[in-house]
Amino acid sequence: MSNVLGSGLVDFENLVKDGAVDLLNHIEVGDFSGAIKVIQELSEARHKSFYNEVGFLTRSLHDAIRDFQVDSMDLVVGEGGKDAATKITDASDRLNYVIETTSAAANKTMDMVDSSVPVASELQSQARELRKDWSRLIQRDLTPQEFRDLYKRIDIFLSYADDSATTLHSNLNTILLEQGYQDLTGQVIARVNDLIRDVEEKLVHLVAVAGRVDSISGIEHQEKESEHDDTRGHGPAIDKQNNPEVLSSQDEVDDLLSSLGF
Amino acid sequence: MKILIVDDFSTMRRIIKNLLRDLGFTNTVEADDGTTALPILQAGTIDFLVTDWNMPGMTGIELLRAVRADDKLKSIPVLMVTAEAKRDQIIAAAQAGVNGYVVKPFTAVALKEKIEKIFERIDAAK
Repeated sequence: MSNVLGSGLVDFENLVKDGAVDLLNHIEVGDFSGAIKVIQELSEARHKSFYNEVGFLTRSLHDAIRDFQVDSMDLVVGEGGKDAATKITDASDRLNYVIETTSAAANKTMDMVDSSVPVASELQSQARELRKDWSRLIQRDLTPQEFRDLYKRIDIFLSYADDSATTLHSNLNTILLEQGYQDLTGQVIARVNDLIRDVEEKLVHLVAVAGRVDSISGIEHQEKESEHDDTRGHGPAIDKQNNPEVLSSQDEVDDLLSSLGF
Repeated sequence: MKILIVDDFSTMRRIIKNLLRDLGFTNTVEADDGTTALPILQAGTIDFLVTDWNMPGMTGIELLRAVRADDKLKSIPVLMVTAEAKRDQIIAAAQAGVNGYVVKPFTAVALKEKIEKIFERIDAAK
């Protein structure tokens, strides 16, 4: 039995072709017992190839599972050993880590925005108040008492502006640092992506081997056309530009809706 | 004006909530899918519904259909804010009676524009 994909099948097909010629020769000369013998030989060869292919499929499956444990999951967990189930769980844990990390970063960023907005608003309203009196000062419209008052308020405002700028600066820095999630999650996603590519390759190989078994045993599978239900949703469209079914901007959505009478 | 925000991601609910607050809508409640949203709607205090499409349990389009099929709820304006952008889906939402459709990722301006447009229409119909 050969490990080269399809070679066992080619051998069997050649055997069938040669056997057919033999069979015809035997029938033409009236040697029916010889003909029956050829048919029996072909039938045995078919069984033998079938068992060979099933054996090969089983071994390939076993190898794929073993490789899957040893190689692919190393990509994800960065260490050997352990059983496949734990490692698959680990890949899924890692994707959960991506969800949690991105969510934490988004919330932290929004926390910082939430705590910055009132600071900016307060600065703005204090500056506006001071500006009114400041322009009265320029127009020499202030009483001496009002001037002394403004003098103090300017001092308080400058100190508040200083503190506020420090707060805003620190919030902006926190927002900046939070963006590090992109690096962390990007690395995890890249590794899981490698794993998926690897598993896909092995599955394609298994499908090819299984196809040989089907071809010898004469089994046919019905192709099932699965249609995705719009109601359940599809998630964000990844390749909007090349999919005519997907609208690529709010403008296109608005145009479609207005064509529907919206 | 009490607004119900329905989205399965808490960060997206928070973004929408903050944008609505900037637009002057401070009274908001949240739900994480259609199944949890419906009882809140049926309690009868919601004036405006903002919903995502793709959610576990009951989806946004199913929620929209349920709202339009309910005599007490059918006049509530519904704004869909979603990443779903297939032509057929938008047509389905329009047929189900959506009042506005914003695709993610969206801008504060787009959200504001759609909400204002919905209210303009409602006022004009009065």
